[in-house]
Amino acid sequence: MDQYLGQVVMAIGFILAILGLYGLLSQKNMIKMILGFSIFTTGVNIIMVAIGYVKGGTAPILDAEGNAVAKFVDPVPQALVLTSIVIGLGVTAMMLAYVMKLYQDKKSLNINDYKDLKW
Amino acid sequence: MVGPIYIIALALGLAFFLGFFGKSAKTLSVYLMLAGLAAMTCISGTWLSAFIDGSVSTQEIYTAGFKPPYSINLRMGLEEAAFTFIINLIGLLGGTYLFQTLKKAGNAAMSVFIILIMSLNVIVMTRDLFNLFVFVEIGSIATAGLILLDKESKALQAGLKYMIATGVISGLLLIGIIFAYSFVGNLNIDAIIGANLAGTTAGMVAAFLIVVVLVLELKPFPANGWGLDVYEAANPGVGALVSAAIGTASLFVLHKVLPMAGESFYPYIVAVGVITFVGSNLVGTQQKNANRLLGYSSIGQLGLVVAVIGLEPVLGTSFKFIAFALIINHVLAKAGLFWISGIIRKANISEWSVLRTKPALLISFLIFIFALIGFPPFPSFFGKYQLIMNLISSDNIGTAAFILIGSFAEGIYMFRWVGDALKNEVAEDATESLDCGKLNKVLPVLLMAVAVVAAGYLSIPFVDGAYSTYFIPLAFIMFIGLIDSFLPAVVKNVVSIAGMAYFTYVMYPIIEGDLMRSIFFGIFMIGGILTLIPGFAKKGKREGFYPAALLMYAGLATIITADNTFGFFFGWELMTAGSYFLIIRGKRSKAHAYSYMLFSVAGAYLILFGFGFAYQAIGSSLLEGLGEIKLLPTLAYTALAIGFMTKTASLGLHIWLPGAHGEAESDVSPMVSAVLLKAGVFGLMLLFLNMGDNGETILYVLGWVGAFTALMGNLSATFQEDAKRMLAYSSIGQLGYILFAISMMTTLGWLAGFTYVLNHFMFKSILFMVVGGIVVATGTHDLYRMGGLIKKMPLAFIAVMVAMITMAGLPPLSGFAGKWLFYNAVILKGWYIQGVIVFFAGTIAFMYAYKMLHSIFFGQLKDNHRNLKELSPAILIPAYILIAGIMYFSVFPQDVLQPINELLVSLNLGDTLTWAADGNATTVLSNWNGNAVMIIIVTTFALVLLYTMLITGKTKKLEQFNIAYSAERPFRPETTHYSHNMFAGLNKAIGFLVAPGITSFWNNVSTMVMDFAGMVRRIYSGNGQVYAGQIIVYIIVFYFIALGK
Amino acid sequence: MDKKFMVALLVAAMAVILFPLFQSFEGGTQLSELGQYYTQNGVSDTGATNLVASVVVTYRGLDTLGEVTILFLAASIISFFLSVSKDDRIENRTVMSVTEILSTASQTLVPIIVLVGAYILVNGHLTPGGGFQGGAIIASGTLLMFLANPNHKLNHTIIHVIESTSGIAFVAIGVIGVLMMDGGFLSNKLFDLGTPGEVISAGAMPLINIFLGLKVGTELSNVLGIFVESQNEK
Repeated sequence: MDQYLGQVVMAIGFILAILGLYGLLSQKNMIKMILGFSIFTTGVNIIMVAIGYVKGGTAPILDAEGNAVAKFVDPVPQALVLTSIVIGLGVTAMMLAYVMKLYQDKKSLNINDYKDLKW
Repeated sequence: MVGPIYIIALALGLAFFLGFFGKSAKTLSVYLMLAGLAAMTCISGTWLSAFIDGSVSTQEIYTAGFKPPYSINLRMGLEEAAFTFIINLIGLLGGTYLFQTLKKAGNAAMSVFIILIMSLNVIVMTRDLFNLFVFVEIGSIATAGLILLDKESKALQAGLKYMIATGVISGLLLIGIIFAYSFVGNLNIDAIIGANLAGTTAGMVAAFLIVVVLVLELKPFPANGWGLDVYEAANPGVGALVSAAIGTASLFVLHKVLPMAGESFYPYIVAVGVITFVGSNLVGTQQKNANRLLGYSSIGQLGLVVAVIGLEPVLGTSFKFIAFALIINHVLAKAGLFWISGIIRKANISEWSVLRTKPALLISFLIFIFALIGFPPFPSFFGKYQLIMNLISSDNIGTAAFILIGSFAEGIYMFRWVGDALKNEVAEDATESLDCGKLNKVLPVLLMAVAVVAAGYLSIPFVDGAYSTYFIPLAFIMFIGLIDSFLPAVVKNVVSIAGMAYFTYVMYPIIEGDLMRSIFFGIFMIGGILTLIPGFAKKGKREGFYPAALLMYAGLATIITADNTFGFFFGWELMTAGSYFLIIRGKRSKAHAYSYMLFSVAGAYLILFGFGFAYQAIGSSLLEGLGEIKLLPTLAYTALAIGFMTKTASLGLHIWLPGAHGEAESDVSPMVSAVLLKAGVFGLMLLFLNMGDNGETILYVLGWVGAFTALMGNLSATFQEDAKRMLAYSSIGQLGYILFAISMMTTLGWLAGFTYVLNHFMFKSILFMVVGGIVVATGTHDLYRMGGLIKKMPLAFIAVMVAMITMAGLPPLSGFAGKWLFYNAVILKGWYIQGVIVFFAGTIAFMYAYKMLHSIFFGQLKDNHRNLKELSPAILIPAYILIAGIMYFSVFPQDVLQPINELLVSLNLGDTLTWAADGNATTVLSNWNGNAVMIIIVTTFALVLLYTMLITGKTKKLEQFNIAYSAERPFRPETTHYSHNMFAGLNKAIGFLVAPGITSFWNNVSTMVMDFAGMVRRIYSGNGQVYAGQIIVYIIVFYFIALGK
Repeated sequence: MDKKFMVALLVAAMAVILFPLFQSFEGGTQLSELGQYYTQNGVSDTGATNLVASVVVTYRGLDTLGEVTILFLAASIISFFLSVSKDDRIENRTVMSVTEILSTASQTLVPIIVLVGAYILVNGHLTPGGGFQGGAIIASGTLLMFLANPNHKLNHTIIHVIESTSGIAFVAIGVIGVLMMDGGFLSNKLFDLGTPGEVISAGAMPLINIFLGLKVGTELSNVLGIFVESQNEK
């Protein structure tokens, strides 16, 4: 299992991203679309974490004396994913706020009802 | 100097600081925000000026105290300085513009605003891929926030669509970035570029994802519905930011990151850009909503720059100039237009006529539109010229053609808009919605207008063949424009005539010794002064007239004096713009000016296209290149010929002329008819002299076109009831003769051509001046409403009669000289059938000459014309000066034709004419002597006249009402008029020849384009989910085309 | 064709495009160039034993600043357009009654949650955690409070003051880095790096973590508060 841990996590990431994308593009309910988007970003984040995986590696934290005790996984993707999570959070929060406002306006969550602008 | 990092620190510190105020101190907050933006502008501005001085070199800014790639680094070089300066300046002016809106929205909105500008700075400066991603996201979120400034439902919808779209693409960007990191082990952009990421399949996919997302940030057609909605729904002040600032930053990022995908990827970016430019502009032709239209235009312009970015390897050293000229032009013009839109507050472009109540804004509006279409003297003109030259030089002919097509499509909607603004009725309550009381809204617009002109001037050193002297007449015109609204027309007329006279004096030495140019220069400049004189008869201020007229004449002079294709094209476009503004002044000229402009712009692009081949041939812009074209010469020469023929209004390209000339103001018609059309003739002559053997077929075809143009023009003229339209059609016919004559490419043919050119200039000036004056005096265009004016206006009658005799080619006047040369030429050339057609057309010319002369001056004087007086001396004096010219040319034709003959002999055209000392001209067929003909005819005429006067001494004069009427009045009185439908029989017989088939052909073309655009734009269904799906489709299609091997 | 089927086709095509990326992944055999550098020099460069923290706060400090900015933006924008004017507001809206367990638990748990958050952010440079994580935990305390009492009112003034102060402090630390040190924005070496492993070590990192935590905590709480309050609209 350890041998393929990286690939498994990576596969999960891709599957989630694709599924999220499917949800975003197929659901008419805007809340569900946002859920799809969340799943999509989660998938992407998992891919990021998986990229930094090194077989047999542990968290990149040194011991109290400041010595490396074991093989580390890459700290960079771990740092990047933190940023990515926060961005995803900000975007999701904004989308939800938009949907709330739109709902107040037309009392509908169906994306097809919001086509006032076109052509 | 202040480090660029302080731009970030300052903006963020300020944004956070505004949070202290909560909901209070809003005014102070706006001022603080503006101060912050001003400081940011200053920082990047000082860097920019230091880079221009050369006093600093490119700086790398390391953060965290570690060198890259271990930490994030920023770069400040010339390009970064320029781009951040533009962005910050737009931010500062945009913030100023939005002062009231931001104040109302509160401190949070101000924080968002300043953070948006800051993020764009970082996007430009950063050299770290992930950092780029973070700040792109900041930019997107801040934009999504600013879209809501107006808190309307539409803005909300647009904002959500925007968020969904950017959310999807940023996720994909992240996948690309993280894999790029995994392959290269680095996030530094330079390191990734150096590592040949695209070398492996997976690496290429990663690079593809990164690049395609950055392309998608630029809203490529057709996956851009979400972007269009933002432009339409957001506050125009935000639209300006999205288009000008964000668009600029995104372009820079694409340029920065594109090398990751490797050389082989560039052509696809070119395709993306060109498709966007053409597609967006085509679909825009159906759009009537001002902000959405600006959105289409923005996306199109950004697409053009995307194409240029993809062309970097092709364009070489010109790349930076071309890209920057197009960007700065887009930024200044588009920001200005969006801001005007926010002041006008009219969604439908047809209501923009309200602009006319604010002249400064109207002029700015015109400057922006003409800058966007690429007219001189704006930077896009320089950029586009150099772009087309380089493209054709590097054998990218298709790309050049598509770019010109896209530019034309943009012209379709932009000039419709200009027409609406200039001509539509201003509704009474229209000014109520105007929001121009605030200086902070108007000032940024005016600044942009000044800046775009200045940017044009600064472009001069970068283009081969551009001289700063081209701007001298423009400066004079600007001066006239400044005094335009203060002084009466009389004063401006004197100043304009003096200016033109001085300009002629200064410019003449440049062309002295070149006979062909001297003749045309004489027509343009002397003609210009003479046609300005009738303006003394006009009252009031005539705002806009003098700048337009001088613009046209400056253009004409530049065409003649230019020694290179750039100068020629510069003059050509100035002339087009000036004449457009003259033509559109007519009361019912909106549609005619529009079609004139469309034909002119299309023609100009064909000329530019043809010039590209000349540039390719000799590697420089000199006109000599026209004779050296080796690459696709037939295509190049055909393009040039058609381009010039749009101005000579040859058959098929003539439909704009009758309306444009017929409906123009009385003193504009002679300018655009007698003078302007000769520009096309000059172009054709220049072309024919350079075509060599490659032009045989073209000349043959043009000969036929000329013959049919002559026939169609004259025939149509006979069927006109409108006096000025009759003259307009007659111009088409006359230009047909000229085209036919010079297409023969023999000495005699060209002599005939020159004779026609000079004659047409003189008699058509006279006719349009005098008939135009009569139309104003009688208050009608219709010939059957005139009559009997010979007693009221004897001097006008004589002028028209002399002009008519010249036009009809009757001896003894110079028209006959033209005919005589012409028939000799035709016979020697052997173009018999064409010659017969032209001969037939010449006969028809008698008919309308007679109809006009009779209808206006003979017959019954109309009741309401009983108090008319002779025309103003302002009209008669130039007319009689021209009559003197005709007389001189008729009596002493050798003075003019002999030097031309020598010139033509030196050009080896064959079929020559020999002159004897007594003025006797001989060809191998016959001989002719102008002096003798004149003496004989005048003597005969005098004898007949004398005899007639003797025998008529005793007759009783018949008064007008000594005629018995029957007791009834016809239902349509004009049907009883002698000249109404005068040539009905002829019409029945051969009228089908002038059936409006050509007009309906062009109508069908335009309907087809519009229908196509209407069909394509249905992809913008308005559904945010569909838009996201389109993005995915775009990526998939792009991938399988570019990488799916 | 059915819309869902089309979408399925689309995402399938997308999966095909992404597949080479997945295929190329070898399951992590060795560290990247950057990762190697950080594991070898991270401690001596920054004095932090948590290498992720040293990357987040120091090496890629500008990203982190951007991240904070994104939260700030989201909070500002949401507060701007979800804010309910006084006239449209219901002061105490009737809500579903909260269970005894939740309200009691919240009283005891919230202080503990805040304390844990504080611990995590203060020790961010030593152990897993840091400003973001700590801030998020603190905000979860706020969430619990809202769950227990939806009519709970956040004190916006205090939130704004903390938020702005910590934001400005973060930027200020960055600027001091440029002014005092080797020209590095957000440089860590404002203070002595100290002995790795001690709480007071790693230069400015603990300080930055604290401001980061405060800012993230208040901003997330703020967003939550706005969402809750926006429900009070008539």
